[in-house]
Amino acid sequence: MSRARYKGADAGSGTFSGAGFAVKLVLIALVDALGVFGVLAAWRAGSWGILAAMVALLVAANWVYFTKRALPLKYILPGLAFLLVYQVYVIGYTGYVAFTNYGDGHNSTKEQAIDALLVQNERRVEGSPALPLTVVESGDGDLGFAVTRDGAVEVGTADEPLDAAPDATVSEGAVTAVPGWTVLDRQAVLQRQQEVTTLRVPVSDDAADGSVRTQDARTGYVFQPVLEYDEAADTMTDASTGVVYTPNDEGQFESADGETLPVGWRVTVGFENFATAFGDDRYAGPFVKILLWTFAFAVLSVVTTFALGMFLAMVFNDPRLRGRKVYRTLMILPYAMPGFLAALLWSGMLNKSFGVINQVLLGGAAIPWLTDPWLAKLSVLGVNLWLGFPYMFLICTGALQSLPGDVYEAARIDGAGKWRTWRSITMPLLLVATAPLLISSFAFNFNNFTLIKMLTGGGPRFDDASVPLGHTDILISMVYNVSGLDGSAPRDYGLASALSIVIFVVVGVISAIAFRQTRKLEELS
Amino acid sequence: MTTATERATGPATDGPGGQVLRHRMPAGRWARELGWRHVVGVLAVLYAVFPIVYVVSASLSPTGTLTGSNDLFAQVSGVNYAELGDTKFWTWMGNTLVIGVATAVGTVLMGAAAAYAFSRFRFAGRRLGLTSLLIIQMFPQMLAFVAIFLLLISLGEVVPVLGLNSKIALICVYLGGALGVNTFLMYGFFNTVPRELDEAAKIDGATHAQVYWTIILRLVTPILAVVGLLSFISTFGEFIIARVVLQSESNWTLAVGLYGWVSSLLEANWGLFAAGAVLSAIPVLALFLFLQKYIVGGLTAGSVKG
Amino acid sequence: MRRSILLASALATTLALTACGAGEPSGGSSADEGADPSAAPSASGSLTVWVDETREAAVQTAAEAYEAESGVDVEIVQKNFEDIRADFLAQVPTGEGPDITVGAHDWLGEFTANGVVQPIELGDKAGDFIPVSVEAFTQDGQVYGLPYAIENIALIRNTALAPEAPATYDDMVAAGKKADTKFPFLIQSDGDKGDPYTYYPFQTSFGAPVFEQNDDGSYRPELALGGDNGEAYATWLGEQGAEGNLSIDISYDIAVEAFAKGQSPFVIGGPWMLEQFQDLDLAVDPIPAPGDEPAQPFVGVQGFYVSAQSANALVANDFLVNYMSTSEAQTALFEAGGRPPALVEAADAASADPLVAGFREVGAQAVPMPSIPEMGSVWSFWGVTEASIISGKADDPVKAWDKMVSDIEGALG
Repeated sequence: MSRARYKGADAGSGTFSGAGFAVKLVLIALVDALGVFGVLAAWRAGSWGILAAMVALLVAANWVYFTKRALPLKYILPGLAFLLVYQVYVIGYTGYVAFTNYGDGHNSTKEQAIDALLVQNERRVEGSPALPLTVVESGDGDLGFAVTRDGAVEVGTADEPLDAAPDATVSEGAVTAVPGWTVLDRQAVLQRQQEVTTLRVPVSDDAADGSVRTQDARTGYVFQPVLEYDEAADTMTDASTGVVYTPNDEGQFESADGETLPVGWRVTVGFENFATAFGDDRYAGPFVKILLWTFAFAVLSVVTTFALGMFLAMVFNDPRLRGRKVYRTLMILPYAMPGFLAALLWSGMLNKSFGVINQVLLGGAAIPWLTDPWLAKLSVLGVNLWLGFPYMFLICTGALQSLPGDVYEAARIDGAGKWRTWRSITMPLLLVATAPLLISSFAFNFNNFTLIKMLTGGGPRFDDASVPLGHTDILISMVYNVSGLDGSAPRDYGLASALSIVIFVVVGVISAIAFRQTRKLEELS
Repeated sequence: MTTATERATGPATDGPGGQVLRHRMPAGRWARELGWRHVVGVLAVLYAVFPIVYVVSASLSPTGTLTGSNDLFAQVSGVNYAELGDTKFWTWMGNTLVIGVATAVGTVLMGAAAAYAFSRFRFAGRRLGLTSLLIIQMFPQMLAFVAIFLLLISLGEVVPVLGLNSKIALICVYLGGALGVNTFLMYGFFNTVPRELDEAAKIDGATHAQVYWTIILRLVTPILAVVGLLSFISTFGEFIIARVVLQSESNWTLAVGLYGWVSSLLEANWGLFAAGAVLSAIPVLALFLFLQKYIVGGLTAGSVKG
Repeated sequence: MRRSILLASALATTLALTACGAGEPSGGSSADEGADPSAAPSASGSLTVWVDETREAAVQTAAEAYEAESGVDVEIVQKNFEDIRADFLAQVPTGEGPDITVGAHDWLGEFTANGVVQPIELGDKAGDFIPVSVEAFTQDGQVYGLPYAIENIALIRNTALAPEAPATYDDMVAAGKKADTKFPFLIQSDGDKGDPYTYYPFQTSFGAPVFEQNDDGSYRPELALGGDNGEAYATWLGEQGAEGNLSIDISYDIAVEAFAKGQSPFVIGGPWMLEQFQDLDLAVDPIPAPGDEPAQPFVGVQGFYVSAQSANALVANDFLVNYMSTSEAQTALFEAGGRPPALVEAADAASADPLVAGFREVGAQAVPMPSIPEMGSVWSFWGVTEASIISGKADDPVKAWDKMVSDIEGALG
């Protein structure tokens, strides 16, 4: 965030001397100080990636602001730094996830998966009693448990199985003193809680008898591991059946006959996700329809919101009009409401039998706004128009201010009518000024998941498809479904990432082409 | 530089009609030139405001649901508004204002600087840079939270204030989008400012920085106001990233907090939610009212000095 | 030229960051223990608990008691209930998530498959809870959650409009028509997405549960909602939809609003509705069965999970097993959320309220909602099919139902 500040430093770049240069020096010094602090902190924390990034940014900043050669970069760098860290990195990371099997069942690292498997498969010996337990410490600092079993106190550590301690003092059911051991108070137990929860005190020399463990340092139970991990061989062994599980390429432990243990870990899987993305033929039919609708939805959303926004902007651009401020302010209202609220609200208002649109405005009609395929599409577009026109209205109001007045003069002298003036002057100039925004609005709506999800949930469903997709689903909501992010299948972040990369490429290419076209348009006009 | 903009000899007057003195005109002409605009205005306002009437009605109703009833304003009471005082609503409001204003200011400063560079300098990779800015914004953000979360964990281990649950970290994430669509909006506008102005100033001995700060920025006030407003509004309504980053309730923004009140639809606290939504629209409207004179009137004022 | 070099180097460092971020989760917690002075002093024990808005105050009270007694710092983090499941799954492996979170029992399958929760040994305390609540949190003989509330739907009756509890579905419709209100009875749907949760008791009365059950009550991923029984239910749905008794346009909002205004003597719903009906005289009855078997709704159990990556597992377990399982704590949670407590003692106390007792009685006959991950694939087909049958969009209910069964089988793979 500090980088934003050295915008001001520009005020006196190069040989320009005086206050501006001083400001620049101070700001750069500040940035450097913060940067060095960050670098040192990264060094201490051992975060080498961040260290390298910080050094690179710091060097770049100093170079850019003290050389005379990087003039444009002086203006771009602050924003660029944020862009690289918070956007480009995010895209890069998603690209990386696309090549892994990150998702349900492969959610964590191998270490964590092993821990989880061991924890889940350590069972309390059936019928074994709850043992009142006290944590004790031996003379050389080893932790042990003092438990009361069958009325007698026994003490043991990880290496020494439970052994009778007849001289122990017991009060109110808890061991309060054991000769030769220090009883740890609650604070001391909490200080060493990780040692306490991982401590296993064998019941006897025979491992088959199990060992005592505790979860709260008040009560112990005898546990018996079902799975055992052999670190050297990197295998899991089921103690009851003797089956050995070895790690496979998919990030799971697998037995010789192909059975896998439930918890797996994240591994890279190459292009597998991309293959899966196009491999499921249940999606083939709906895919084409959804693709077409996605384009239609995105394009029509831009066209309708822009048309209404521009129209209203022009209507209220007449300085003689009284109450313009009030009109303009009230029209911003839909934009000031959180989007999810608007979608919820509209889905209620469009309810077929009880919604206000049918009941009050249309006098009791029963129009299936959200349940008929075509009407649902219309409703989605209508609600999106309501949500989006204030944005276009704002933009056009701003852009109208920059239109050259002399052109209008010329048009008027030439005798062009209002319609003609609008068609051949206002509209093209507005389009040129706002084209990049229209393209980005297209991209936004292409991925407008919130609206679809909250308003129709993609419905009404396709009758002929075997997957839960519907007439208003767009590509991104289909991705949600395919990759299980909507909960209808196991979550697969790897697949979702791969699909979002694919969508990104599609939208990016279309936008780049459209952008080139608008540049041509710009140069022609 | 385009021919279209070079034709402009100076900033535009206010709209196609130019500045016309207000005087009485015949009713027929009034209807033709202004009256219909009022009709359109009233219709547009009805369209814009009608659904919001529901929210206001729900906020005044001591019980009930958001959309279950068509009897608007059947009961009117201020209970929900009073109850907001018992929640963290006002803390959230404060957080939102801080984050929104900081993001808007940062976005305007950084975006305008970049737009200036793209508009006034010719350098290798300029076209590519512009296109890339446009394209990067198009990445579907649905999975961004995973990467942002991990990034902030790593950053937070080094500099806690850039880590999770920090408002500054959230502002930084939002500023990652400062160069983007807004840069384009400003870039287009900057292009309409004639280059002759900077060149004249340069001949007088001004540096590029002086040209930028003292000439260009003054002339483009309307677009700075628009971008500031757009950035503020989008920050105001954003809750997907905010709820990942801001973990403790006292750091939440309004959108995160309000979403929480209705996220479990069965237990949704509609009255409270509606009251909160109504109040939370006020800062946006206030900011718009405040900026409106810059958006609409700013350019004409600037041209006098230019 | 220079610029591209800079870009390249920035890109390289970004990639380094990527690599770092990717590898980070494994070593994160151990690396910063000594190095980072700003990290919370976990040595003396501190606890982070995720709670949703409704229950925050109740957990806060118990936490304060625990803090006072043990000196452990308890931080309550309020989350949206809807977000907790996904956030917990995403955050625990990074070492970030909480030590404890509230959650529903049907998340269990997913949580264990991802190794994000650890078992809780309730020991003899298990007997203090209503059996179904502990069973719901049990998988492979291990208990993974401390239950605090049981929720299920029942028939809520406006006694002014219908003095008698209906014995069968037909009785209910008849009584509803006799009351001469706008609706004979109300049952919510979510538009064309349907609401199979609320409709489930009708389905069970036809003997078509969603999955096969093992002897111990746990589910196995074999569909049971097809066959003759399922088809009979589908046919019945179609008939009732055509008669207008069932409608997918009655949303939750509409159902609540209509019942509150006395527009129907009956509504099928849960204790979460009661707050809106404070002015009415109510009774809570078993859901009348349209089929031959009893109408069993789903029972959902809410409880607390302990993170598998918790560095404070001891404190977490101590807090849950010894503080959240007390009658006071469970009662406080009941008062905050309105669901009958899972602890028998607290449930008995709460049952002094006849409405709570009514829900509890129905809950005793209910079946737990499946917690196997396969359930996720069922919901999205199930509701939509029911809705299309009720609305008449699917002209042949049996065919639609059979297609649904085969689609679900396709999704299960």
